Formats: sequence, C-alpha cells, structure tokens
Amino acid sequence: MAWAIGANDAANSMSTAVGAKAITPKQAVIIAGLLEFTGAYFFGKSVTETIRKGILDPTMITDPMVLVYGSVAALLAATIWLIVATKFGLPVSTTHSIIGGIAGYGIVYAGTAIVNWGKMGQVVLSWILSPIIGAIMAYFIFKAFTKSIFERKDPVRSARIWSPFWIGLAFVVIGTMFYIKVLHGKDLKTGVLMYGIPLGIIVFVVTYFLIKLRFPSSDPFVGVEAIFRKAQVVTSGYVALAHGANDVANAIGPVAAVYAVATMGLGGMEVPVPRWILALGGLGIAVGVATYGYRVMETVGKKITELTNTRGFTIDFSAATVVLAASWLGLPISTTHTVVGAVIGIGLARGVKAINKDIVRDIIISWFVTVPVAGLISAAIFKVLMVVG
Amino acid sequence: MQVWTKLFAKSPFKPLIKHSEVVLNTVETLERALQAWHSGNYGEMERLAIEVDRLEDVADRIKEEIRDSLSSKLMMAVAREDVLIYLHMQDKVADAAEDTAKWLLVKRPGELPAEIKELILQMGTESIKAAKLVHEAIVQMDRVIESGFADGEIEKEYGLIRKIESVEKEIDGLDTRLMQLVLENAENLSWGDGFYVLNIARTLSNISDKAKDAAERIRLMMNK
Repeated sequence: MAWAIGANDAANSMSTAVGAKAITPKQAVIIAGLLEFTGAYFFGKSVTETIRKGILDPTMITDPMVLVYGSVAALLAATIWLIVATKFGLPVSTTHSIIGGIAGYGIVYAGTAIVNWGKMGQVVLSWILSPIIGAIMAYFIFKAFTKSIFERKDPVRSARIWSPFWIGLAFVVIGTMFYIKVLHGKDLKTGVLMYGIPLGIIVFVVTYFLIKLRFPSSDPFVGVEAIFRKAQVVTSGYVALAHGANDVANAIGPVAAVYAVATMGLGGMEVPVPRWILALGGLGIAVGVATYGYRVMETVGKKITELTNTRGFTIDFSAATVVLAASWLGLPISTTHTVVGAVIGIGLARGVKAINKDIVRDIIISWFVTVPVAGLISAAIFKVLMVVG
Repeated sequence: MQVWTKLFAKSPFKPLIKHSEVVLNTVETLERALQAWHSGNYGEMERLAIEVDRLEDVADRIKEEIRDSLSSKLMMAVAREDVLIYLHMQDKVADAAEDTAKWLLVKRPGELPAEIKELILQMGTESIKAAKLVHEAIVQMDRVIESGFADGEIEKEYGLIRKIESVEKEIDGLDTRLMQLVLENAENLSWGDGFYVLNIARTLSNISDKAKDAAERIRLMMNK
C-alpha cells in the first residue's frame, strides 16, 4: 500500500517542480523519497489515529481477528483500486480508497450502524472543502504575488525583495508545523513565534543575499522565474513532507490496527502507533517514489510544458499549507484534491494559460466513485477471508 | 501521475507566437522583394516573391494546427473565440503579403516615375513596421498572462496597440497620396502600369489593415 502511494501520489508532490523544469526527475526522486519518509516518520502520528479509529465503532468489533482480516481487506482493496485506477489514468485519492475499504468491511461485518457516519461526513466534507480552500488560497496567494512583483514600477527590484519574502513565508509555515508535529507542541502561537517566524527570517535573509549576489537577469520575468525555479525545489519538498505526514496514515492506519491486536490481543484500545510502523510506511512510500515514481515524473517533466515556476510555487505553497493545516487538525485530506483546487484557483486568477476542463471533470467524478468502489472490493475480500480464515 | 500530464494542456500562446514569427518573416521577405523591385533587380525580386508564397503556406499550416488543438475543453486565461479570431487576423497579414507578392510576379513594371516607386517602397517599409508591432504585441500578451494581468504589463500592451493603429493611419495617408500620384501621372503611365501600381498599393495597405484588426483582438483579450 505504501508502495502504491509512493508510486502514484507522491510523484505529484514533485511534479510541478519537474514540470516547470526546476529539477530533473532523478533529483526529484531522491528529494521526494527522503522527504516523504521524513514527513511520514515525524509528522504522521495524529492522522494515523483518526483513520484507524474514527471510521468504525471499535466497540462493535468483539472478535480481534475481524479487525485483522478487515484491515488486511481494506489495505488490499485500496491497493487494488489504486493500481487499477492508475492503469486507466484515473487520479484517485489514496485517502478515499482506504476509508472506503475500512467502511466496506465494517458494513459487511456489522451492518451500516458500525460506521461512524458523523465522522464519515466530516471526512467527506474535508474532501469537498480541501479543493475549495486550496483554490481560494492559491487565488489570493497568486494575486498577492503578482501585485507585489509584477505590478510594481520596478519589477526587478520588487522581485529581489518580495521573492525572499514569499520563500520566507513558506518557511514560517514549515517551522510552525515542525513545532506542532515533531515536538508535539500544542500552542499554535508558540509554534509561530518560536519556530515559524525565526526560521522564516533566517531563510528570508539567506535568500535575500543570495539573490543580491546574483540576480539571474535584468528581465524581471526571466529573473523571477529563475529565482522561483530554485524556490520551487524547496516548496515541492515541502509538499512531499506534508504529503508523507498525511498519507502515511493511509498505509499505516490499518497496519497499526493489526499491530494492536497482535501485541495486546485486543482491538479498539488506545495504543500509540509505534515509530517503526511509521518508518515502515515512510520507507514504503520512499521505495514507491524511487521505483515507479521515477518513470511517472520523467513523463511529467517532458509533457507538462505550460507550467511556469511562479505558478508552480504558488500551487505548491497553497496546497502544502492546506494539507499541513488539515494534518494539524487531524483531518485526512487528499493532496490531489488540494493541488487540483489550487490549480483551478490560479486559473481563476488568470494565471494559468490552459487547463483541460475534461480532465478536471474526470478528476471530480473519480473522487466520488472511489469510496464506494474501494468499499465493495474490501467487502468482497473480507468475506473471502472470513470464510477461509 | 498521468493526470498531471493531461491537466495542463498546451497553451496556444507559444504556438501563436511561432505563427506570428512566420508571418513576420513573410512580410520581411516581401520587403526585400520590394527593394529588389525598386532597384530593378527583377530576378531576385521573383525569387523572393516565390519565397513569400512558400512562407505563407507555412503560416497556414501552423494556423491549422493551432485551430485543431484549441478545443472548447480548455479553460484559458482569455476567451477561446478571441484567440481564434486573433489567429485569423494574424494569418491575414501573411495573406495580404502574399497578394502583393502575386502582383509582383504577374508583371514586370514598365518605366515608372521615381516618386511612385519611392512611395511604394515606403508603404512596404511601413507595413513591415505594423507586422513587427503585431509580433511584439502577441509576445507582450503572453507576458500579460504571465504576470496574472498586471496593470503595468497591460499598459505596455495598450501602448503597442496604439502604435499599430497610428502606423495603419500613416499607411492610409500614403495610400491616398499614391492614388493621387497615379492619377496625376495618368499620361505617363500605361493603363496596365497604373492598374498594377494601384493594386500593389492596395495589397500593401491591406497588410497594415489586418495588423490593426489583430491588435484590436488583443485589446479584447485584455478587456475581459
């Protein structure tokens, strides 16, 4: 499962950077692999809990073996659906797949009452909201971005000042999330003041002087693109990190459930997710990126032609912020949704030259079918396992 | 992932710029043909006029390709209709250049008054200016989109459009002046030469007319 996530979804995180020719596919694989692992290992904890426990009512599963079989069924179902969908080029969400899978076996075992529909509704709502928030975020960031650089009298000069500002801002978010996720800080204010802002300032200063030393060109457009080509490597890394934090839960949640049964003989107890399971998930994602993600990103790098570095930066920055914020709130959201939302947001700000409307429609359809399809596959596998087991 | 390769369609703006480069090349070749014509080097003139014809074909092919790729499935920063009509107008600039080249090919001029020859050459130079400005305008349009429709970039674009309009006006004046000259020299010119000269002038002023139409379409692209 983790491999499938790495192969499919994780490649997305770097795709804008590769597409805008900021880095080569090979570099992307290394960066994405490392950061996905880091994100999964350090940032992945609270989301893992949400998916494992939130969807089904654990008190209704009396037989621990049901949890084991069910988790295996959910994992297999999600993996199968992910591979099938990828074969047909459908951009399905791993989060949807696994949640569909969990709900599927739950319904087969104990009927619809076992599913926590309130929680399910909340999760579905976050799927609907994440592209919308992604779009709004990207719209305003892109607007602010163009206003601060291209609409000035001297775009070269504004680019020198504002580019470090935007890059610094991205690091404020990264720093804050580092505090909340890695150090398990509770107070957002402390995170922003003690970690986010200092890191942002350091990055701002470093970037400011780097740009001052050599601004690539006297043409603001060429120059700005060149700055953001480098910044995009960082923001893409940031997306990969955020992605690892969120999506490791998909692969690991059910594994953690199995682990809980295996070690304590009981399901549904409050068990911390052991680090090594997170590491396993992170490793799976990283291997997925390296084995299959390479090919995917190479294709992307050669085929996406109309994505510039500034837009790529805006998409990455908005998507990552939304994904990390959701991760902080413990809501499982899809990177794909948020990125698609961000792309549309930039389109609405008239920054994108051409988006394929048909594909946007297909994506939205696939978002809706994933949960039921993964649920059905999981239900079937679960039935077979129960009969055989 | 496959979807990312599909999500971002190829924007028509780079191909539009490529088309405009060919159009510009067509008009520049015509200018050289006119210079050869002016200096009486008719062999060279014919070679260049044939080249104009060939370049116009190239522009046509690019135009077809852009049309085929520009489906209504695209969400673009500017209206699809505006892009298509703009493309049509830009292509007309090359067509008009080809028309002039045809006139150069069908007849070698007899003895023409120097004034008329000068004026024709001047009209040629001016229409190249208009075509060059159209090229600059579409490159600038790309930047307008790049900047997310920044005011400064839009202002630069308006500046270019105004320049195209003033060049067109100037050529209109030259056109009228040429008509007068031909009629004033009615006795020195054969019927055929007069007809020939007036048609060259008409097709030349067509180049700037179409350039102006193209510029107006760009204005519409920015207004939405």
